[in-house]
Amino acid sequence: MQSRALVTTLILGAASAGLYVLLFLFADQFARMAEATRAGEKLYALVPIVVAMVFSFVHGAFTGQFWDLLGLRAKK
Amino acid sequence: MENLNFIDITFTTAVILFLVGFVGGMVSGFIGSGGAFVLTPAMMSLGVPGVVAVASNMAHKFPKALVGAHKRHKYGQVDIKLGVVLGIFAEAGVLFGKHVMVDIRETFGAAGTNLYVSAVFVVVLGIVGGLVLRDAIREKRGEATRKVSDELPPLARWVRRLEIPGTMIYFKSMDARVSFLVLAPMGFATGLLAATIAVGGFIGVPAMMYLLGLPALVASATELVIAFVMGLGGTFFYALDGFVDMRLAMIILGGSLFGIQIGAIGTTYVKDYVVKFVMAAIMLLVLVSRFFYIPGYLSELGTIGTLDQGTRGTLDSIGLWALAFALIFGAVMILQALYKGMREHRLAEAAALAAAGPVVAAVSPEVAPAAQLSPVGRFERFLVASDGSEFSAAAVREALNMAGKCGAQVHVMSLVATGVEHEGLGESFLKQELAKAQAHLDGIKGQADAAGVACETHLVQGNHVDREIVDLAERVRADVIVMGRRGRRGLARLMLGHATAQVIGQAHCNVLVVPRAAHVEGRHMVLATDASRFAETAAVTAGALAKVCRTPVTVASVTTASHSPERRAEAQEAVARVVAYMQAEGTTAEGRVIEGEPADAIVGVARERGADLIVTGSHGRTGLERVLLGSTSERILNETPCAVLVVKAA
Repeated sequence: MQSRALVTTLILGAASAGLYVLLFLFADQFARMAEATRAGEKLYALVPIVVAMVFSFVHGAFTGQFWDLLGLRAKK
Repeated sequence: MENLNFIDITFTTAVILFLVGFVGGMVSGFIGSGGAFVLTPAMMSLGVPGVVAVASNMAHKFPKALVGAHKRHKYGQVDIKLGVVLGIFAEAGVLFGKHVMVDIRETFGAAGTNLYVSAVFVVVLGIVGGLVLRDAIREKRGEATRKVSDELPPLARWVRRLEIPGTMIYFKSMDARVSFLVLAPMGFATGLLAATIAVGGFIGVPAMMYLLGLPALVASATELVIAFVMGLGGTFFYALDGFVDMRLAMIILGGSLFGIQIGAIGTTYVKDYVVKFVMAAIMLLVLVSRFFYIPGYLSELGTIGTLDQGTRGTLDSIGLWALAFALIFGAVMILQALYKGMREHRLAEAAALAAAGPVVAAVSPEVAPAAQLSPVGRFERFLVASDGSEFSAAAVREALNMAGKCGAQVHVMSLVATGVEHEGLGESFLKQELAKAQAHLDGIKGQADAAGVACETHLVQGNHVDREIVDLAERVRADVIVMGRRGRRGLARLMLGHATAQVIGQAHCNVLVVPRAAHVEGRHMVLATDASRFAETAAVTAGALAKVCRTPVTVASVTTASHSPERRAEAQEAVARVVAYMQAEGTTAEGRVIEGEPADAIVGVARERGADLIVTGSHGRTGLERVLLGSTSERILNETPCAVLVVKAA
């Protein structure tokens, strides 16, 4: 049971780390996109919204699992 | 128009931002409000322009608000209609606030927005921090800060009496109609503040409590809907002007999601006034930090004389160190409270366990001769999980009933789910949820006391109900876990609740599954056997239970048309052997070998005999990689209206 939780945590952690790697690989493109949005390409304004949602769900699931695995519990 | 100037993010900056996000998340989880009042100034201290800091902050916040709102909606705490209506007006406030920011930026440059954001911070944090500090001092002295009364605040009474034709909207949470002319300025002010410093809740939550008369729990839950609506809109509007720095927002989010849980759990280990002291201290320290930056911005704008480099550097350093101290102070206070509390709790648990005395080692029924089996020993401790639903009520009822017959002790557990949703709340949500669950457990304990059954309650906090049940069963050395069929998490499997199926798969002990309408009265028991080692274990357990409850037993084995004559003979022999064993133990037993589909046949025999309990073996301890539960056992569980005891092989 513990090992299953560990595997889930590792998979989510890898997915989360992968997202951060991609974010920094494409950091320049994001900055250019922000400039382009300012210049008139208004559809690009949707990109930050989608990115924030994806990161929040993947990384949120990972951190939840992470603390759970380490046994961080509220007082009973 | 000035260039955007997103800051350069080096490895060091990234680490600092992550740590700032972590502490900000921890603080927001601990004090139950958005951590943006820490995060925005922290980003500005790292050189991020005020408008980019606010915009990026909004981008990291709104998905968390969505998750929180969704989860709290499940507890019935969210008034979606009110949240959306206020959210729409807040959106107007955000749009206006953003225009103010952009105009200031275009007229006065980055120093203008920095000054504007800082000045608003100083004023808002001064007011809110002062009020929180006053509350904390009063609470520490033992004075009530708010009268506990069912009466509405005077302003709320006035608002609800106000009748402006053509503007009234009905809200379920208040069971009253309120004019949107009242809601419009409330929402607008919330949005305006959110667009200025990224914390709208400072206005939204108190306004809903004092102007609309909503309970704190509903106000803070509905605020999450507003935060989502305006956060989504705010991110979009700021993104239209290219102000959202995704790298900043996502690094902050990365740290913040780690921190929130620590903060939320930390609150369960400290007194309320400690939370308020920490909150007030951090707010006032952030205020001091922002205050020391203001002369620098004024100097840049030429409002005051130009500051020499040394003076500017000193003032900025004081601002930076005040902020760093606020973050470190918050982190240390929370971590210390958590560490101390958890250690004390662990010691208390160990002491309680030691006081309970040595526990009789479980005897494997497979290897132990039947004569050595003590029925009382086998049914000494029951663990029943209750989520307050009608399904688990049946499990509680039968656990108490059976424990009464066996003289067993009952452990009752209830789980409070926690997670990201605790961020951004006006009150200590986790504590209220825990109190509600504890009240539910106390009710069950009352029932147990009335029935003369020894009962211990366990309030557990976690995200996975099945895992928590199995862990607790091992800790209390439960002999039987009693669960309802189809709980709140039952959508994952059609009939048998997902959590119940997982528990059967993972538990070391037996599991009794009780459908809502089942009553185990000891009328008749059907034992399903297939001559496997699992069935042999089930036979020994069923024999022990039948003896204690003096219940007649039908031992049933099912063969199919495809079975060989040897297989049929084997079934006859297995049934005869179990019947003989039970009769030797003084139990009335009969044997049946039926041909047909195994699950249907067993359920049919139970119906025919008027049985109230079916005992079946499982396929052993399993995980995802193996079969969770024997398909026959699972079909029996799904199809029978009577209780089923799934006996686990050691």
